[in-house]
Amino acid sequence: MHHALSGWGLWLALVGACIGTYLCRAIGVLLSKRINQDSEIFRWLAAVTYAMVAALTVRMILLPIGLLATVPGWIRIVICVLSVSVMISKPTRRLVPALLTGTLLMVSYGALR
Amino acid sequence: MTALTKPASANSQESPIERSHQSRFKSPQQAFWGGVRDGAGGPAMVLFAGMVGFGAMGNTNGLSLLFTGATSFFMFALPGQVVLLEMAISGSAAIAIALAVTLTATRFVTMTVTLFPQLHQQDRNRKLYASVHLLAMTAWAISMREFPSMQSQYRKQYFIGLGLLCWLISIPGTILGYFLAGMVPAPITLGLIFINPLFFLLTFTDVRPWINRLAICFGCLLGPVFYLLDRDSSLLTTGLVAGTIAYFIDRKLLRKRPGVIG
Repeated sequence: MHHALSGWGLWLALVGACIGTYLCRAIGVLLSKRINQDSEIFRWLAAVTYAMVAALTVRMILLPIGLLATVPGWIRIVICVLSVSVMISKPTRRLVPALLTGTLLMVSYGALR
Repeated sequence: MTALTKPASANSQESPIERSHQSRFKSPQQAFWGGVRDGAGGPAMVLFAGMVGFGAMGNTNGLSLLFTGATSFFMFALPGQVVLLEMAISGSAAIAIALAVTLTATRFVTMTVTLFPQLHQQDRNRKLYASVHLLAMTAWAISMREFPSMQSQYRKQYFIGLGLLCWLISIPGTILGYFLAGMVPAPITLGLIFINPLFFLLTFTDVRPWINRLAICFGCLLGPVFYLLDRDSSLLTTGLVAGTIAYFIDRKLLRKRPGVIG
């Protein structure tokens, strides 16, 4: 069950993953030639993309693997809420202070537990 | 000779009208370095930290430096890289890994399709098949935000400056993380891993039209549900369902109200 992949199998997985990833990018280039940025399909695709990216972000925060999974879920959520509050506290967005807030809170949690 | 005279004539052709309303850059070189500067101001640092986290993951899970570095260089898609690592450690078959990673990469199809039509017609040629490798979430999010502030003929150079910096910085980041793992205390590693999702979350507050804000909300709500139903295809299904709901709400309700589109 828990035999980690190694040797050729591992490299084969990487090659397959790289090809798959590049293919998705290339298909995008191919399709983008026929799409106008003012069209309905463009609006729909933009919405689909943002939804995908949002799902990915939520997955990384709520259902992480590895070290982050050892932090209780509610702590992760509280830190996210605090960082977003810093971000939107001024009309001119404060990305770096917000990022520092979140990261330092996470480091301090790790140090104190 | 021709290379020298070209930019000047291109400028004079559209000078009075086009230049007056948007003139953030005056030459392609300036646009390139503008992209590099915007990246270096924060986004590339975040990606660097994320790659340090990935390198650390590779080391702590017993993978070689060459393999971990090659993943960042050839794949350059952090979420897919994490899926690859996760599945390799748990011993999945190579073909299953390749398929799962490809599914997480389907977002690149729509990312490219939403970004590249904003480039100038002259730049939409075969060379894009090379530059598209530089497209990842960071460069996409920044470009989507900044493209409206510049003329279309400078957008490609801007994107390349931004994307190239992100790509090139990911290799030293991975290598550094690989060697740092085990040397820095666990709390710092925790912070490094957390930077990536936090950065993505924070960029959402900058997203403008309401249709995309709705899509993000539905994506956040439905994402975990689809994840529990089927992990590997969940990004694709969430994107399609949540994006389509947002699109129809926008089309049926929001667009009829004046002042909501923007």
